[in-house]
Amino acid sequence: MNLDLSAEQMAVRELFADLFANESTPERIRAAEPLGYDPALWAQLIGTGALGIAVPEGLGGAGAGLLELVLLAEEAGRRLASIPIAEVLASVRLLAEFEARDLLEESMSGAKLVSLATGTASLADQILADGAVADYVIALDGERLVVLARPAVVRHLTNAGSLPMARWHDATEVTELAVGSRARQSFDVACDEVRILRSALLVGLSFEAIEIGAAYARVRRAFGLPIGGYQAVAHPLADAIVATDGAQLLTWKACWAAASRHATAPSLASMAFIFAGQTACFAAQHSLHIHGGYGFMAEYDIQLYFRRSKAWQTIFADPQLELHGLADRRFGPVLADMAGDVS
Amino acid sequence: MDFAEPENWSAIRAEAEAFVAEHVTDDMIREELATGDGVSRPLLRALGQRGWIAATWPVAEGGAGLDGFEASIIAATIRLAGGPTIGQGTTMLPANAIRALASEPLKQRILPSVAAGETLICLGYTEPEGGSDVFACRTKAVADGDSWVINGQKMFTTFAHLADFCFLLTRTDPESHGPRGLTMFLVPMDTPGIERQAVRTMGYERTNIVFYKDVRVSDFYRVGDVNDGLRVMRVALEAEQNIAPASKTTQLFNTALAWAQTPDRSGRRMIDSPAVRERLARFAIDAEVAELLGHRVAFIEQIGGKPGPHAALFGPESYVAWAAAVIDMVGPAAMIAWSDDEAVSGGSFEYHFRSAVASTIYGGSSEVLRSLIAEQRLGLPRSRPRTTQA
Repeated sequence: MNLDLSAEQMAVRELFADLFANESTPERIRAAEPLGYDPALWAQLIGTGALGIAVPEGLGGAGAGLLELVLLAEEAGRRLASIPIAEVLASVRLLAEFEARDLLEESMSGAKLVSLATGTASLADQILADGAVADYVIALDGERLVVLARPAVVRHLTNAGSLPMARWHDATEVTELAVGSRARQSFDVACDEVRILRSALLVGLSFEAIEIGAAYARVRRAFGLPIGGYQAVAHPLADAIVATDGAQLLTWKACWAAASRHATAPSLASMAFIFAGQTACFAAQHSLHIHGGYGFMAEYDIQLYFRRSKAWQTIFADPQLELHGLADRRFGPVLADMAGDVS
Repeated sequence: MDFAEPENWSAIRAEAEAFVAEHVTDDMIREELATGDGVSRPLLRALGQRGWIAATWPVAEGGAGLDGFEASIIAATIRLAGGPTIGQGTTMLPANAIRALASEPLKQRILPSVAAGETLICLGYTEPEGGSDVFACRTKAVADGDSWVINGQKMFTTFAHLADFCFLLTRTDPESHGPRGLTMFLVPMDTPGIERQAVRTMGYERTNIVFYKDVRVSDFYRVGDVNDGLRVMRVALEAEQNIAPASKTTQLFNTALAWAQTPDRSGRRMIDSPAVRERLARFAIDAEVAELLGHRVAFIEQIGGKPGPHAALFGPESYVAWAAAVIDMVGPAAMIAWSDDEAVSGGSFEYHFRSAVASTIYGGSSEVLRSLIAEQRLGLPRSRPRTTQA
């Protein structure tokens, strides 16, 4: 057991911590609203070679793994980076897996933005996380894993979390990556990577939401004392930081299990997503609450974290449904219909 | 980054299981259930022979040179089998403080016999009017020549009726209040003037109220300097708060999952019920998180850091929540006690429901741990007023 990051991984974390701290300031986040996309930040991220981090060297990448992407996502989450992260990083790994060299090259260089449709409904019935800004999405179409091009008309859906989300009607197929069980398997792995990367985004968000709340509670006074000295304010923050530590460990373990092809990998990906989502939403909600009326003001940053925590979770899945998915993965399939049964 | 269970853990678990098969007998388990003492002398001696009482101490000092996690695997394995673990676990808290801060002659008198499983030490911190506020101590020790005369009362002194010594917090400066002016003693429990009163708990555990009336203790048994008890207590309390509680949440989860996967008389598996699946999925997450936070404690200790009370907060809190939720999930049969033949899963659910609630109280109440985390990790102001008045 070793829970430390390597020197290289620490360097990756530091690189992105600096990038997002400098380039995803609250002013930049607000300027990118309501679309939730900051093209300059996107260009800067591309400039670091971020999209190739976990692509094999033979395909023009850096040959690192999912954990490095998780570290990137945590830092992006901490600063609410207004750019596509989870679905795009998972897509680039799918393109690498199928050696779709042209698209891979276009994606890594930033020439085209390739995202992932994580739903299994028909594409027109999905709300795509990056739909308003993506050029292509990879989608599962029945038995086939395909790449679709952005339709001529795409309408951004203005939303609570300022995500660049949109529906794609009449998207045209560009290429087929795989068919049959291979298509399904690869799609499932990519969706688990999205779960893990979304967990990482939410972990970063949660840490910063707690820090914003704690910083406020250290200086804001009421009834003659800083409010952080009142247990009703302080104790939920303590619960939140403990849970966030747990969510981070769970995310890292899910990453390790995926990389080492451990049998528990799918369960851990589900667990990480559910727990990180629940934790981030709780942390942001309590942190906002202790700001009193100020937390409700658009001018205060905590409201950005509150809105984004819910959005980053629910754009992928209803956590309640994910629990049933986790049950299937962890306990095996349901063998008898007991839906109406009372013991 | 590597989350694989290290080989030494699986190795020590296998050794501990073999040890349990040999030494934790059915009679011992039944006696523990009946008495709730938390102590078995034969088990202590057997552990002592293996160096497994003070397992983290060097072999030369009677230990086994294990790391903290290996030691906690041994305790968890005994507990899983239903053997008593409170005696040895509790004894090691003062033993480690004595090892760090006591005089050489006292160390030589006590530590080898602790490691051998011959000496049991109970804890005398809490008083009727001071629980979490442990430094609201009123038990007095007054110097008289080469000895001290102690008067006072302590609450919840588990296995006081079996212990050889009590690690006793006293006030030696009568003018002092709060954490100053305190001194620690190791009081031999056969000293005249000590009276024990049994306290039954709802969780099958027996504990005691202990009265100290003109109890005379030689200065030899003082631990640390006079009026410097705070420092000694810090060492002992930190050890307790940082304990990686090889999570009982996981133990309960495994029992609940086994219940759900086992077909009942009509062949139904409750794991097929959506309501059960959903709860067990949530339970599995909490158990995993409790384990991971515990592992992190072990890892940080191994690299020489201070882990903080995170695991000691999340583990027991999740344990209490699930011990109650499992009763709902399993239904009325979950409430049948182990002593009845119709008990489900050996009465585990009833037992956990009764005993879990104490885990968020002893060893630092959750409120105290949350305050420590808020102060140490988040830089928030202290949320408990300092004692300024008696």
